[in-house]
Amino acid sequence: MTSERLYTKPTSVQEALQTAREYKNDFAFIAGGTDALVNKYQGNVDYNCMIDITGLHELKQVSVSGNDLSIGALVRLDDLGKFGMITDRFPALVQAAGEVASPMLRKSATLGGNVLCENRCSYYNQSEFWREAVGYCLKCEGDICIATGGKKACFSKFVSDTAPVLIAANARLEVHDTDGVRIIPLEAIYTGDGIKPRNLSPTSLVTRIVLPLTTEYQIIFRKLRPREAVDFTSLTTAVSLDKAGLVRIVVGGVDPKPVVIDGKKGEDKDALVKKALSKCRVVDNDYYSRNYRRDMMQLFLKESLDQMW
Amino acid sequence: MKQATYIVNGKKYNVLVEPHEMLSDVIRYKIGLTGTKEGCSQGSCGACTIIANNEPVLSCITPALRFDGAQILTIEGVATVDGLHGLQQKFLDKGAVQCGFCTPGMVMTAIDFLKHNPKPTTDEIKLALSGNLCRCTGYKKVIEAVAEYAMESNGLYPGGVHKAPAREEGLRAVGVRRPLIEAVKKVQGIAEYADDIAVKDALHVKFLRSTHAHAKIDHIDTSEAMALEGVRYVALGHEIPVTFGVLPISQDENAIAIEKVRYIGEIVAAVAADSESIAAEACKLIKVKYTPLREFLTIDDSLAEVMPEEKIHNEGKFNNNIHKKAELRFGDQKQGLKDADVVSTMSFGFEGINHGFMEPHAATAWWDENGLTMVSATQVTHYLHRALAKTMEVPLSRVRVIKPYIGGGFGGKGDPFPHEIIVAHIARKVRKPVRVVLTREEVFITNHGRHPSRMTISLGASNDGILQVLDADINIDGGAYGSFGVVTSYYNGVLLQAPYKLNNFGFRTLRVYSNKPQCGAMRGHGAVNSRFAVESLIDDIAHRINMDPVDLRMKNFLDSNSLTVGQYRITSNGSRESIQVVAKQSDWYERHGKMEYGHGLGVGCGFFISGSALPIIWNELPQSTVHLKVDFDGRVLVTSGANDIGQGSDTMLAIMVSEVLGIGMDKIFVIGADTLLTPVDLGSYSSRVTFMAGNAAKNAAENLKLEIANAIAAKKGVAAEELNFTDDTVFTNDKSLVLSWLEAIEILTAHRGAVSVSGKYISPKLGGDFKGAGAGLSPSYSFGACVAEVTVNTSTGHVKVNNIWGAHDCGKALNPMTVEGQLEGSWHMGMGQAMSEEMKYYNGLLVNNNFIDYKIPTALDTPPIHTNYIETIDPEGPFGAKECGEGAIHPVIPAISNAIFDAVGIRITKLPIRSEDVLELIKQKKSQHQPLTITV
Repeated sequence: MTSERLYTKPTSVQEALQTAREYKNDFAFIAGGTDALVNKYQGNVDYNCMIDITGLHELKQVSVSGNDLSIGALVRLDDLGKFGMITDRFPALVQAAGEVASPMLRKSATLGGNVLCENRCSYYNQSEFWREAVGYCLKCEGDICIATGGKKACFSKFVSDTAPVLIAANARLEVHDTDGVRIIPLEAIYTGDGIKPRNLSPTSLVTRIVLPLTTEYQIIFRKLRPREAVDFTSLTTAVSLDKAGLVRIVVGGVDPKPVVIDGKKGEDKDALVKKALSKCRVVDNDYYSRNYRRDMMQLFLKESLDQMW
Repeated sequence: MKQATYIVNGKKYNVLVEPHEMLSDVIRYKIGLTGTKEGCSQGSCGACTIIANNEPVLSCITPALRFDGAQILTIEGVATVDGLHGLQQKFLDKGAVQCGFCTPGMVMTAIDFLKHNPKPTTDEIKLALSGNLCRCTGYKKVIEAVAEYAMESNGLYPGGVHKAPAREEGLRAVGVRRPLIEAVKKVQGIAEYADDIAVKDALHVKFLRSTHAHAKIDHIDTSEAMALEGVRYVALGHEIPVTFGVLPISQDENAIAIEKVRYIGEIVAAVAADSESIAAEACKLIKVKYTPLREFLTIDDSLAEVMPEEKIHNEGKFNNNIHKKAELRFGDQKQGLKDADVVSTMSFGFEGINHGFMEPHAATAWWDENGLTMVSATQVTHYLHRALAKTMEVPLSRVRVIKPYIGGGFGGKGDPFPHEIIVAHIARKVRKPVRVVLTREEVFITNHGRHPSRMTISLGASNDGILQVLDADINIDGGAYGSFGVVTSYYNGVLLQAPYKLNNFGFRTLRVYSNKPQCGAMRGHGAVNSRFAVESLIDDIAHRINMDPVDLRMKNFLDSNSLTVGQYRITSNGSRESIQVVAKQSDWYERHGKMEYGHGLGVGCGFFISGSALPIIWNELPQSTVHLKVDFDGRVLVTSGANDIGQGSDTMLAIMVSEVLGIGMDKIFVIGADTLLTPVDLGSYSSRVTFMAGNAAKNAAENLKLEIANAIAAKKGVAAEELNFTDDTVFTNDKSLVLSWLEAIEILTAHRGAVSVSGKYISPKLGGDFKGAGAGLSPSYSFGACVAEVTVNTSTGHVKVNNIWGAHDCGKALNPMTVEGQLEGSWHMGMGQAMSEEMKYYNGLLVNNNFIDYKIPTALDTPPIHTNYIETIDPEGPFGAKECGEGAIHPVIPAISNAIFDAVGIRITKLPIRSEDVLELIKQKKSQHQPLTITV
């Protein structure tokens, strides 16, 4: 049988980090668990130490400090809409959160968990038996990407619906690690490598999502999915426009990382869309075909930009 | 292990919990509250919803230790000493409970939702329930239950609820809206399903499954697995050499693969161990060496000529992988198509569809002095009984199969299955009870769902809209084994000979074996895809001759009391009433063809058997036998082998007895589908139970009535034929003698004791005497129609179904609430096949083997469904009733695609209807500047 299993539920960030250090490569932080525990059930990951961080109440707060809105990483998706500051200033975030999974899952899933949601692929999110039968893809220690029929890179999809909106609003992450606390732009954590989609060290803990209140954003969010609930995204777009006329396009579901394009109001829209399209490495690893998702991305972006100017 | 404490429903439990154990497992198996269901283990079906510390959680993906010390509310704690929770009562009253497997999760979710939103809109209710999948109800009655409960809680009383129907024709029990007799148990979570039944000291089984689609098994090394602590037995294929299959002509499967594997997921070895996790661990230690064989993954692969040693099955007369050729012809189709004024020919493609029942397969077996006993989630105890006796090589008298409550079937629990045979085998070997429950992935791999198909069909008509000729060329992909496939092959064709008059009709179906999970029977068996094709062709012809599609259909319907070209005897026929009611309700004539671009209405019709007139295993037994026993206490025990799988057949049997004997339902007790206790019924397939078991129950009750009347006549000196049985009394016409039911039973049982009677149903001799004449024969047929309304987004291709109006001729609604529930579930399932469901394979591997990726429509995806049942009072059905579970699925799918044609002028020939295909067709149509009407 497997070696000793452990479950622990720390009550402070420091305790959580301490346990993580002790179990170095053999642990996982579990928040809502709606993503992580399914991957564990499927055998995509395994670890002996489960560090349940839902006892870290300090990470469930939403507060304003200075020019920043700080949302605790453990604020649940379903709860985002209960904070006036979020609904007033970032309604698109509430909208995006409201389109993640199903209502019941949103009552467990957290904002931190959603931005750290593991990349997905039809050939990876499968049981151990299945992956053995298909011949293990790159993301599970195989030799080639199955979705592309043999490429040497992994194109697992980035599927967070909230992250595109957050990035469109220039969100930053507060990350605790053994060497202290850092604040980094959210987009900077995504590597674009489907195998290891985030560059955070395993022992680091995302504690807060910080949104600037200095700028006002208009953000348009759209999501493509076959059903009106439950489904992971096939394409997520978030387009923001701030008072200064800066435009940010963020696209999820079509590349191993969120694709970000910056522009200015008044720029040629088609050129902006084309730029975004050229950066998306869409492959056939979804309910919808690669071509359709590319077409819809252009449509969603064009329609979003058309609403802005 | 860690000691944890939970206060569940107010009671404190101290339990030992594995560190990584999920809360659902602790609640179900350690605390023993099995009302919390597990349908997917991945948080995507909602059945496991509980409330912990006042917050709802999906317990199957919640670490148990997260809630150490917590207050937990499960479904069992919702009712109090004062009775059911008001919402539970509403679920009963509105008919929101069918199989009951999703019910606990639905109730828990709704209770939490209403706490936060006590005055919800319908859309808010749909949203709240959108993470709880249900395959039986189409959500309609669930949403109504929640809405009505909320309104009443707010002191509002909804108007327009169903009135109690007037008693017709002197009927007392028939035609009354009532919850299923077991619904109270289901809504409280105390009805026991196969995996809920704890059997002392049982071992757990897990399977090692083939990772090859087609391969020779060279060697299996089980030594490491056997050495693992807690492992009790490892079974291999050669131990169970006898083959099985549901049809006598397709006994082509071994419980565990011997020598070679034929699909990815086929069972190669089975491990029985002290726990499920040990068994799973041991499976990983088994080493199998395979030599891959040529794989056949598509219909074309399988049609190709091959060397004998390459074939999937060595038997069979063809030098390819064709399993069955079914062909029937009436008239000369070639000539007919030449002669027709207008001919429409189209090719269609359909993906495979899975039943998607919420309860995974589960079974427990043990052997004792009575031989083998098995509790299994089966639709057909009788065939399982036979398959177990055959494969275990014991007499039929040494096998008992018990059906507990079943969480839906839809055809997917109708075959005997390898896992059932394997647990029976291992239980005999280890001399202990052995149990198994399949994961959702295993359920998908086990499949037996609707065949992937392709077909080219030509339909010819006259310029005045009279259908003249139909020719169908059909290929269906059967997967690795036979299952019901021979029947499916015929049904694809033969069930096209109605509901329209067609004197020139022919078809040929080829069913191939392929190296994929096998296909079999699923709701609407065999005819769903070909019906879609024909209804699309009719729509096309109507368009081309500029005739309204409803009018064209009206011109062509078969009459009541007529014969089809293949000599089906049509008795009652509500086609015309069905299509007229949906046309009226949808404002068809005002709106069809007249809505703005992107909006459309479409119509489709259907036809299905109401019980196969011929048994699968030829013998002279009645199709159904029902026993009644009455003793001194006045209670009538009904025993029937019919399988209630959530569709309400136990209740139907009780209604039959109640009606005939004039006694209340409280005096009737039903035991269903236990092969030791109940007489043979052929089980729940082919929509046969209401018609056949219903008639048998009615016949049994009439026999009992006669016994009682004769006893009273002898004792009291009255004429037996003057006795009336109503309202729990027996009385003479002039009321000179009035006996209470108990007094009547005292007279019956005096000097005799308990009385048992039997009733039966035997189908009349039907059909022609040509080869293949038996396929699709039924003592009665059901008919129906649907209109669908859609909006097509012409820039994304997305199709939204806005409304479904459905009407179905069920003969007589014995329990209108149940009939509606069956119809709504059927239309919903059809909509799933139309819009989002498909079994997607990659090199023989099923890619979407879970409820995230296999897309059953959620409550949010389900439009308003407008339900009508048409009562034609079938001359041979029990009180005029016939089927309502399967036939309704046929019209809805083409209604949707025909609505898309009305909306944007494109013809859908592939299911599911994908946005990208719709978009592409819209583009093509625009670029070709096709005229709206093409003349031949």
